[in-house]
Amino acid sequence: MPRGAKIALGLLVVAVIIGLISFRGIQRRVKHLAELQTADEKARHEILAAPITTSSDVTQAAKIYWAAGPDRVAPVEVPLPLSANPVERCRQLLHELTVNPPTPGQRTIPADTTVMGFYILPDGTAIADFSDALSSEMPSGILSEAMAVDSIAQTLESNVPTLHRLKILIHGQEVDTLAGNLDLTGFFDLNPPSPPAPPVTSAKPAR
Amino acid sequence: MLPSAGPIIVLDPAHGGTDAGARGEAVAEKDVVLQIARSARVTLERQGYHVVMTRNDDSNPSYDDRAAMANGYRDAIFVSLHVASTGTPGTVRAYSMLFAAPAAPPGAFVSWAEAQRPYVAASHRLADLIQGEFAQAFAGSPSHSESVPVRALRSITGPAVAVETSSISTETPDALTASGEPLGNAIARAIMAFRQAGEK
Repeated sequence: MPRGAKIALGLLVVAVIIGLISFRGIQRRVKHLAELQTADEKARHEILAAPITTSSDVTQAAKIYWAAGPDRVAPVEVPLPLSANPVERCRQLLHELTVNPPTPGQRTIPADTTVMGFYILPDGTAIADFSDALSSEMPSGILSEAMAVDSIAQTLESNVPTLHRLKILIHGQEVDTLAGNLDLTGFFDLNPPSPPAPPVTSAKPAR
Repeated sequence: MLPSAGPIIVLDPAHGGTDAGARGEAVAEKDVVLQIARSARVTLERQGYHVVMTRNDDSNPSYDDRAAMANGYRDAIFVSLHVASTGTPGTVRAYSMLFAAPAAPPGAFVSWAEAQRPYVAASHRLADLIQGEFAQAFAGSPSHSESVPVRALRSITGPAVAVETSSISTETPDALTASGEPLGNAIARAIMAFRQAGEK
Protein backbone atom coordinates (compact mmCIF):
# COMPACT_ATOMS: atom_id res chain seq x y z
CA MET A 1 0.00 0.00 0.00
CA PRO A 2 1.45 3.43 -0.90
CA ARG A 3 2.54 5.62 2.01
CA GLY A 4 -0.02 8.34 1.20
CA ALA A 5 -2.86 5.84 1.30
CA LYS A 6 -1.64 4.51 4.67
CA ILE A 7 -1.59 8.06 6.10
CA ALA A 8 -5.08 8.73 4.72
CA LEU A 9 -6.38 5.48 6.16
CA GLY A 10 -4.79 6.30 9.54
CA LEU A 11 -6.34 9.76 9.55
CA LEU A 12 -9.70 8.25 8.66
CA VAL A 13 -9.50 5.77 11.57
CA VAL A 14 -8.52 8.58 13.98
CA ALA A 15 -11.41 10.73 12.69
CA VAL A 16 -13.88 7.88 13.17
CA ILE A 17 -12.64 7.28 16.76
CA ILE A 18 -12.90 11.02 17.57
CA GLY A 19 -16.37 11.07 16.01
CA LEU A 20 -17.54 8.13 18.08
CA ILE A 21 -16.18 9.66 21.29
CA SER A 22 -17.83 13.01 20.50
CA PHE A 23 -21.09 11.31 19.60
CA ARG A 24 -21.20 9.49 22.95
CA GLY A 25 -20.38 12.76 24.69
CA ILE A 26 -23.19 14.53 22.87
CA GLN A 27 -25.57 11.71 23.75
CA ARG A 28 -24.59 11.99 27.43
CA ARG A 29 -25.05 15.75 27.38
CA VAL A 30 -28.48 15.51 25.70
CA LYS A 31 -29.56 12.92 28.28
CA HIS A 32 -28.27 15.10 31.09
CA LEU A 33 -30.12 18.13 29.74
CA ALA A 34 -33.33 16.11 29.46
CA GLU A 35 -32.95 14.95 33.08
CA LEU A 36 -32.36 18.53 34.20
CA GLN A 37 -35.47 19.66 32.31
CA THR A 38 -37.57 16.93 33.91
CA ALA A 39 -36.23 17.77 37.39
CA ASP A 40 -36.88 21.45 36.73
CA GLU A 41 -40.43 20.74 35.57
CA LYS A 42 -41.02 18.55 38.64
CA ALA A 43 -39.66 21.20 41.01
CA ARG A 44 -41.72 23.91 39.31
CA HIS A 45 -44.82 21.73 39.53
CA GLU A 46 -44.25 21.06 43.24
CA ILE A 47 -43.82 24.76 43.99
CA LEU A 48 -46.69 26.05 41.86
CA ALA A 49 -49.11 23.23 42.56
CA ALA A 50 -48.53 22.95 46.27
CA PRO A 51 -51.77 22.24 48.14
CA ILE A 52 -53.45 25.47 49.17
CA THR A 53 -54.63 25.78 52.74
CA THR A 54 -56.35 28.75 54.32
CA SER A 55 -57.48 29.49 57.86
CA SER A 56 -61.14 29.18 56.85
CA ASP A 57 -60.80 25.67 55.38
CA VAL A 58 -63.66 23.31 56.26
CA THR A 59 -63.73 19.75 54.96
CA GLN A 60 -66.71 19.31 52.65
CA ALA A 61 -67.90 16.86 50.01
CA ALA A 62 -66.69 18.53 46.82
CA LYS A 63 -67.96 17.40 43.43
CA ILE A 64 -65.00 16.95 41.11
CA TYR A 65 -65.74 16.14 37.47
CA TRP A 66 -63.39 13.52 36.03
CA ALA A 67 -63.76 11.29 32.97
CA ALA A 68 -66.42 8.60 33.33
CA GLY A 69 -65.63 6.57 30.23
CA PRO A 70 -64.14 7.65 26.92
CA ASP A 71 -66.62 10.37 26.10
CA ARG A 72 -68.11 12.03 29.16
CA VAL A 73 -67.31 13.51 32.55
CA ALA A 74 -69.22 12.81 35.77
CA PRO A 75 -68.94 14.07 39.36
CA VAL A 76 -67.07 12.20 42.05
CA GLU A 77 -67.66 13.31 45.64
CA VAL A 78 -64.37 13.94 47.41
CA PRO A 79 -63.98 15.11 51.02
CA LEU A 80 -61.84 18.21 50.58
CA PRO A 81 -60.77 21.07 52.86
CA LEU A 82 -62.28 24.07 51.10
CA SER A 83 -61.72 27.75 51.84
CA ALA A 84 -64.54 30.22 52.43
CA ASN A 85 -62.69 32.58 50.08
CA PRO A 86 -64.07 31.83 46.57
CA VAL A 87 -60.74 32.46 44.82
CA GLU A 88 -58.81 30.10 47.10
CA ARG A 89 -61.67 27.62 46.97
CA CYS A 90 -61.47 27.56 43.16
CA ARG A 91 -57.70 27.04 43.28
CA GLN A 92 -58.16 24.15 45.73
CA LEU A 93 -60.77 22.55 43.47
CA LEU A 94 -58.64 22.90 40.33
CA HIS A 95 -55.62 21.53 42.20
CA GLU A 96 -57.62 18.46 43.21
CA LEU A 97 -58.96 18.04 39.66
CA THR A 98 -55.44 18.12 38.22
CA VAL A 99 -53.47 16.20 40.82
CA ASN A 100 -55.73 13.50 42.23
CA PRO A 101 -57.87 11.73 39.61
CA PRO A 102 -59.08 8.42 41.13
CA THR A 103 -57.40 6.48 38.28
CA PRO A 104 -55.07 7.58 35.47
CA GLY A 105 -57.84 6.81 32.97
CA GLN A 106 -60.09 9.39 34.60
CA ARG A 107 -57.65 12.24 34.03
CA THR A 108 -59.05 15.02 31.86
CA ILE A 109 -56.22 17.52 32.28
CA PRO A 110 -52.50 16.93 31.61
CA ALA A 111 -50.65 16.04 34.82
CA ASP A 112 -48.12 18.86 34.47
CA THR A 113 -50.83 21.53 34.36
CA THR A 114 -50.68 24.15 37.09
CA VAL A 115 -53.01 27.03 37.91
CA MET A 116 -50.84 30.13 37.54
CA GLY A 117 -53.52 32.60 38.51
CA PHE A 118 -57.18 32.75 39.41
CA TYR A 119 -59.34 35.85 39.66
CA ILE A 120 -63.03 36.57 40.11
CA LEU A 121 -64.49 39.81 38.75
CA PRO A 122 -67.38 41.56 40.53
CA ASP A 123 -69.87 40.33 37.87
CA GLY A 124 -69.09 36.68 38.70
CA THR A 125 -66.66 36.13 35.82
CA ALA A 126 -63.93 33.68 36.82
CA ILE A 127 -60.59 33.97 35.03
CA ALA A 128 -58.45 30.85 35.25
CA ASP A 129 -54.88 31.15 34.03
CA PHE A 130 -53.24 27.78 33.38
CA SER A 131 -49.67 26.85 32.54
CA ASP A 132 -48.67 25.95 28.96
CA ALA A 133 -49.02 22.24 29.75
CA LEU A 134 -52.82 22.49 29.59
CA SER A 135 -52.49 23.31 25.90
CA SER A 136 -49.21 21.74 24.84
CA GLU A 137 -49.80 18.33 26.48
CA MET A 138 -53.52 18.09 25.70
CA PRO A 139 -54.40 15.36 23.16
CA SER A 140 -55.79 17.21 20.14
CA GLY A 141 -59.45 16.60 19.32
CA ILE A 142 -62.88 18.18 19.85
CA LEU A 143 -63.90 15.39 22.25
CA SER A 144 -60.80 15.46 24.48
CA GLU A 145 -60.65 19.25 24.56
CA ALA A 146 -64.37 19.56 25.33
CA MET A 147 -64.04 17.01 28.16
CA ALA A 148 -61.15 18.98 29.65
CA VAL A 149 -63.09 22.25 29.62
CA ASP A 150 -66.26 20.51 30.85
CA SER A 151 -64.37 19.05 33.81
CA ILE A 152 -63.00 22.49 34.75
CA ALA A 153 -66.27 24.37 34.20
CA GLN A 154 -68.54 21.84 35.91
CA THR A 155 -66.21 21.42 38.89
CA LEU A 156 -66.21 25.19 39.47
CA GLU A 157 -69.94 25.55 38.76
CA SER A 158 -70.92 22.79 41.21
CA ASN A 159 -68.85 24.04 44.12
CA VAL A 160 -68.87 27.82 43.73
CA PRO A 161 -72.42 28.95 42.96
CA THR A 162 -71.54 32.65 42.76
CA LEU A 163 -69.64 32.15 39.47
CA HIS A 164 -71.52 32.99 36.28
CA ARG A 165 -68.98 32.52 33.53
CA LEU A 166 -65.45 31.33 32.97
CA LYS A 167 -62.58 32.59 30.86
CA ILE A 168 -59.58 30.33 30.32
CA LEU A 169 -56.13 31.83 29.72
CA ILE A 170 -52.91 29.98 28.92
CA HIS A 171 -49.79 31.46 30.50
CA GLY A 172 -51.51 34.80 30.97
CA GLN A 173 -52.65 35.07 27.37
CA GLU A 174 -55.90 34.59 25.52
CA VAL A 175 -55.33 31.80 22.98
CA ASP A 176 -57.32 30.85 19.91
CA THR A 177 -57.86 27.20 20.78
CA LEU A 178 -57.05 24.75 23.56
CA ALA A 179 -55.23 22.21 21.38
CA GLY A 180 -56.31 23.07 17.84
CA ASN A 181 -60.08 22.69 18.04
CA LEU A 182 -61.92 24.13 21.02
CA ASP A 183 -62.42 27.90 20.93
CA LEU A 184 -60.97 29.63 23.98
CA THR A 185 -61.51 33.21 22.80
CA GLY A 186 -64.95 33.38 24.40
CA PHE A 187 -66.48 32.64 27.80
CA PHE A 188 -68.08 29.50 29.18
CA ASP A 189 -71.41 29.93 30.96
CA LEU A 190 -71.59 28.76 34.58
CA ASN A 191 -74.65 28.70 36.83
CA PRO A 192 -77.00 30.32 34.30
CA PRO A 193 -79.33 32.70 36.12
CA SER A 194 -82.67 31.12 36.90
CA PRO A 195 -85.75 32.70 35.31
CA PRO A 196 -87.27 35.49 37.38
CA ALA A 197 -89.78 34.28 39.94
CA PRO A 198 -93.40 35.19 39.24
CA PRO A 199 -94.52 38.30 41.13
CA VAL A 200 -95.90 37.54 44.58
CA THR A 201 -99.53 38.51 44.82
CA SER A 202 -100.83 39.73 48.10
CA ALA A 203 -104.39 40.04 49.33
CA LYS A 204 -103.42 43.21 51.11
CA PRO A 205 -103.50 46.40 49.06
CA ALA A 206 -100.17 48.11 48.63
CA ARG A 207 -99.72 51.13 50.84
CA MET B 1 -81.17 12.37 -7.16
CA LEU B 2 -81.20 15.94 -5.94
CA PRO B 3 -81.23 18.84 -8.37
CA SER B 4 -77.84 20.40 -8.98
CA ALA B 5 -79.28 23.73 -7.82
CA GLY B 6 -79.24 22.44 -4.22
CA PRO B 7 -76.93 23.70 -1.53
CA ILE B 8 -73.20 23.65 -1.97
CA ILE B 9 -71.50 21.42 0.56
CA VAL B 10 -68.21 22.82 1.78
CA LEU B 11 -66.08 19.97 3.16
CA ASP B 12 -63.35 21.22 5.47
CA PRO B 13 -60.53 18.75 6.18
CA ALA B 14 -59.20 20.16 9.45
CA HIS B 15 -55.58 21.16 10.12
CA GLY B 16 -52.92 20.72 7.38
CA GLY B 17 -49.38 21.88 6.70
CA THR B 18 -47.39 22.34 9.91
CA ASP B 19 -50.56 21.74 11.96
CA ALA B 20 -50.78 17.94 12.06
CA GLY B 21 -53.76 17.80 14.43
CA ALA B 22 -54.13 14.58 16.43
CA ARG B 23 -51.27 12.12 16.08
CA GLY B 24 -51.34 8.34 15.99
CA GLU B 25 -48.55 5.87 15.29
CA ALA B 26 -46.98 7.11 12.05
CA VAL B 27 -50.18 8.86 11.05
CA ALA B 28 -51.47 12.40 11.43
CA GLU B 29 -55.04 13.66 11.54
CA LYS B 30 -54.37 16.19 8.75
CA ASP B 31 -53.64 13.37 6.26
CA VAL B 32 -56.47 11.08 7.35
CA VAL B 33 -59.13 13.80 7.18
CA LEU B 34 -57.98 14.77 3.70
CA GLN B 35 -58.48 11.18 2.53
CA ILE B 36 -61.87 11.00 4.28
CA ALA B 37 -62.90 14.31 2.66
CA ARG B 38 -61.92 13.13 -0.83
CA SER B 39 -63.86 9.91 -0.38
CA ALA B 40 -66.91 11.69 1.07
CA ARG B 41 -66.76 14.20 -1.79
CA VAL B 42 -67.04 11.43 -4.40
CA THR B 43 -69.99 9.92 -2.51
CA LEU B 44 -71.80 13.25 -2.18
CA GLU B 45 -71.18 14.23 -5.83
CA ARG B 46 -72.53 10.86 -6.93
CA GLN B 47 -75.76 11.84 -5.21
CA GLY B 48 -75.98 15.12 -7.09
CA TYR B 49 -74.46 17.56 -4.60
CA HIS B 50 -72.02 20.26 -5.59
CA VAL B 51 -69.04 19.85 -3.25
CA VAL B 52 -66.07 22.13 -2.67
CA MET B 53 -63.18 21.58 -0.26
CA THR B 54 -61.36 24.17 1.80
CA ARG B 55 -58.12 22.36 1.02
CA ASN B 56 -57.18 19.51 -1.31
CA ASP B 57 -53.50 19.27 -0.45
CA ASP B 58 -51.22 19.62 2.57
CA SER B 59 -51.87 23.34 2.96
CA ASN B 60 -53.29 24.92 6.10
CA PRO B 61 -55.71 27.77 5.31
CA SER B 62 -56.47 29.89 8.37
CA TYR B 63 -59.83 29.55 10.08
CA ASP B 64 -60.80 32.89 8.57
CA ASP B 65 -59.76 31.82 5.05
CA ARG B 66 -61.84 28.66 5.39
CA ALA B 67 -64.82 30.66 6.64
CA ALA B 68 -64.41 33.25 3.89
CA MET B 69 -64.44 30.51 1.28
CA ALA B 70 -67.64 28.98 2.69
CA ASN B 71 -69.30 32.36 3.17
CA GLY B 72 -68.56 33.23 -0.47
CA TYR B 73 -71.33 30.81 -1.50
CA ARG B 74 -74.86 32.02 -1.05
CA ASP B 75 -76.33 28.65 -0.20
CA ALA B 76 -73.69 26.55 1.51
CA ILE B 77 -73.60 23.89 4.21
CA PHE B 78 -70.26 23.68 6.00
CA VAL B 79 -68.96 20.35 7.30
CA SER B 80 -65.62 20.36 9.11
CA LEU B 81 -63.98 16.91 9.26
CA HIS B 82 -61.85 15.76 12.22
CA VAL B 83 -60.32 12.65 13.77
CA ALA B 84 -60.13 12.49 17.57
CA SER B 85 -57.25 11.41 19.80
CA THR B 86 -59.72 9.70 22.12
CA GLY B 87 -63.23 8.26 22.24
CA THR B 88 -64.84 4.89 21.58
CA PRO B 89 -63.16 3.35 18.51
CA GLY B 90 -65.27 3.40 15.35
CA THR B 91 -67.79 5.96 16.60
CA VAL B 92 -68.48 9.32 14.96
CA ARG B 93 -69.82 12.49 16.56
CA ALA B 94 -71.43 15.61 15.11
CA TYR B 95 -71.10 18.99 16.80
CA SER B 96 -72.71 22.36 16.30
CA MET B 97 -71.39 25.67 17.62
CA LEU B 98 -72.03 26.81 21.18
CA PHE B 99 -71.72 30.46 22.12
CA ALA B 100 -71.84 31.80 25.66
CA ALA B 101 -74.85 33.96 26.44
CA PRO B 102 -74.24 37.45 25.00
CA ALA B 103 -73.17 40.04 27.57
CA ALA B 104 -75.46 42.61 25.93
CA PRO B 105 -78.63 42.27 23.82
CA PRO B 106 -77.68 41.55 20.20
CA GLY B 107 -77.73 44.57 17.93
CA ALA B 108 -77.99 44.81 14.16
CA PHE B 109 -74.24 44.42 13.74
CA VAL B 110 -72.99 40.83 13.62
CA SER B 111 -69.28 40.50 14.32
CA TRP B 112 -67.12 38.21 12.19
CA ALA B 113 -66.09 36.36 15.34
CA GLU B 114 -69.71 35.42 16.03
CA ALA B 115 -71.06 35.22 12.48
CA GLN B 116 -72.41 31.73 13.21
CA ARG B 117 -74.61 32.94 16.07
CA PRO B 118 -77.80 33.56 13.96
CA TYR B 119 -77.46 30.07 12.45
CA VAL B 120 -76.90 28.14 15.67
CA ALA B 121 -80.40 26.67 15.84
CA ALA B 122 -80.35 25.50 12.20
CA SER B 123 -76.84 24.09 12.65
CA HIS B 124 -77.97 22.19 15.74
CA ARG B 125 -80.91 20.67 13.86
CA LEU B 126 -78.60 19.62 11.02
CA ALA B 127 -76.06 18.18 13.50
CA ASP B 128 -78.83 16.16 15.15
CA LEU B 129 -79.94 14.77 11.77
CA ILE B 130 -76.35 13.86 10.88
CA GLN B 131 -75.82 12.29 14.32
CA GLY B 132 -79.00 10.22 13.86
CA GLU B 133 -77.53 8.83 10.64
CA PHE B 134 -74.17 8.19 12.33
CA ALA B 135 -75.91 6.25 15.09
CA GLN B 136 -77.16 3.82 12.43
CA ALA B 137 -74.03 3.71 10.27
CA PHE B 138 -71.39 3.58 13.01
CA ALA B 139 -72.30 1.30 15.92
CA GLY B 140 -71.92 2.85 19.34
CA SER B 141 -72.22 6.44 18.12
CA PRO B 142 -74.54 8.62 20.21
CA SER B 143 -78.01 9.41 18.89
CA HIS B 144 -77.86 13.16 19.57
CA SER B 145 -75.31 15.78 18.62
CA GLU B 146 -73.57 18.08 21.06
CA SER B 147 -73.02 21.83 21.04
CA VAL B 148 -69.48 22.90 21.86
CA PRO B 149 -67.41 25.94 20.87
CA VAL B 150 -65.58 24.52 17.85
CA ARG B 151 -63.24 27.19 16.49
CA ALA B 152 -63.74 26.15 12.85
CA LEU B 153 -67.49 26.91 13.00
CA ARG B 154 -67.44 30.33 14.66
CA SER B 155 -67.48 32.56 11.59
CA ILE B 156 -69.58 30.53 9.16
CA THR B 157 -72.71 32.33 7.90
CA GLY B 158 -74.88 29.29 7.31
CA PRO B 159 -75.60 25.83 8.71
CA ALA B 160 -72.27 24.46 9.96
CA VAL B 161 -71.28 21.26 11.73
CA ALA B 162 -68.09 19.53 12.77
CA VAL B 163 -67.78 15.78 12.46
CA GLU B 164 -65.18 13.82 14.44
CA THR B 165 -64.27 10.14 14.06
CA SER B 166 -62.68 8.19 16.93
CA SER B 167 -59.89 7.60 17.12
CA ILE B 168 -56.46 8.07 15.64
CA SER B 169 -54.82 6.20 18.53
CA THR B 170 -56.81 2.99 18.11
CA GLU B 171 -57.92 2.70 14.48
CA THR B 172 -55.62 1.99 11.55
CA PRO B 173 -55.29 4.72 8.90
CA ASP B 174 -57.01 2.40 6.40
CA ALA B 175 -59.97 1.85 8.73
CA LEU B 176 -60.29 5.58 9.30
CA THR B 177 -60.02 6.40 5.61
CA ALA B 178 -62.59 3.71 4.79
CA SER B 179 -65.11 5.61 6.90
CA GLY B 180 -65.20 8.32 4.19
CA GLU B 181 -67.84 6.64 2.05
CA PRO B 182 -70.35 5.73 4.82
CA LEU B 183 -69.69 9.14 6.32
CA GLY B 184 -70.51 10.83 3.00
CA ASN B 185 -73.68 8.72 2.65
CA ALA B 186 -74.80 9.59 6.19
CA ILE B 187 -74.20 13.30 5.60
CA ALA B 188 -76.05 13.15 2.26
CA ARG B 189 -79.11 11.51 3.85
CA ALA B 190 -79.12 14.02 6.69
CA ILE B 191 -78.85 16.99 4.34
CA MET B 192 -81.71 15.60 2.27
CA ALA B 193 -83.87 15.38 5.43
CA PHE B 194 -82.72 18.87 6.41
CA ARG B 195 -83.84 20.26 3.05
CA GLN B 196 -87.11 18.36 3.11
CA ALA B 197 -87.81 20.03 6.44
CA GLY B 198 -87.50 23.31 4.54
CA GLU B 199 -84.30 24.35 6.24
CA LYS B 200 -82.24 25.11 3.14
